[in-house]
Amino acid sequence: MAFTLYSLLQAALLCVNAIAVLHEERFLKNIGWGTDQGIGGFGEEPGIKSQLMNLIRSVRTVMRVPLIIVNSVAIVLLLLFG
Amino acid sequence: MPGLASKRRTPASPPGMADPHQLFDDTSSAQHRGYGAQRAPGGLGYPSSSASPQASFMADPVSSMAVAYGSTLAAQGKELVDKNIDRFIPVTKLKYYFAVDTVYVGKKLGLLVFPYLHQDWEVQYQQDTPVAPRFDVNAPDLYIPAMAFITYILVAGLALGTQDRFSPDLLGLQASSALAWLTLEVLAILLSLYLVTVNTDLTTIDLVAFLGYKYVGMIGGVLMGLLFGKTGYYLVLGWCCVSIFVFMIRTLRLKILAEAAAEGVPVRGARNQLRMYLTMAVAAAQPLLMYWLTFHLVR
Repeated sequence: MAFTLYSLLQAALLCVNAIAVLHEERFLKNIGWGTDQGIGGFGEEPGIKSQLMNLIRSVRTVMRVPLIIVNSVAIVLLLLFG
Repeated sequence: MPGLASKRRTPASPPGMADPHQLFDDTSSAQHRGYGAQRAPGGLGYPSSSASPQASFMADPVSSMAVAYGSTLAAQGKELVDKNIDRFIPVTKLKYYFAVDTVYVGKKLGLLVFPYLHQDWEVQYQQDTPVAPRFDVNAPDLYIPAMAFITYILVAGLALGTQDRFSPDLLGLQASSALAWLTLEVLAILLSLYLVTVNTDLTTIDLVAFLGYKYVGMIGGVLMGLLFGKTGYYLVLGWCCVSIFVFMIRTLRLKILAEAAAEGVPVRGARNQLRMYLTMAVAAAQPLLMYWLTFHLVR
């Protein structure tokens, strides 16, 4: 089967890294996913797109420092143990 | 053994008390009595040859102080763990999901395999908190999913053994794989619930409980496959897949589409339709996963 918890952890780390790499000014604004373009009216339905943009922005803000630590640990472990 | 008092336990309350807030029967009454009476006769009952090194060990003031210090340290550690465990693992909330009895388990297993005649899927509430599973067959529990998961691992080992493909680390691999799929499912459903902005009272533990019910069908399918070959496996798995599909739709409809569709009103409006699609996607993922996790076990 080869789909273990460890590979799930690896995939999660890679996905969070991918979200953290999306640059606000150079990339997200150009496809219209910048966070200042989304927070429109304060109506009752945020909509999927604004929820996604909120999610991306919060993941980037919250996970910035922990990602540095986890990435360093992962790099060291992979260098040592292959 | 001579000199050891026997512990006698008397339940403090009659079983089957009709108080829905009480999760478990209270059996904590007379245990400490037995401990105190046991220790003194046990010490005196030792043969005298080993009494002197024992006595000299305990009479030494330094070691007796060390024993006292060690016991206070252990008590402090236990206090610290008890105080902080609730932050990491919600122990009190978990107890609710294990408050089951035999009647409930029997009825719930029957419901999982044959959900077509059950009429009322609403969980009863008692003063704003949901009733414990032993009093309502619709309430989710974690006992059946946990037991079914462990049984699935064992049955997978059995199936692999009958085909000469067994080795002990394969058991760990099966367990890890099933847990990984469960985690992935929970994360995917939580993400989609967040994106569609559904205001439900569907907690994460509830979701884990609902997603764990499919292991029951998987066990049935693999066992039938072991007994009757591929035909039996496909028949039983097909039946359990359809049952789990109907069960999940009827249960999740009350949780996700709480306002509109619970009374049977047909869904309209983009928001309700999206929620209906989400419910159907979650329910449709169950048969797929049931097949994916078991087809390699039956040859």
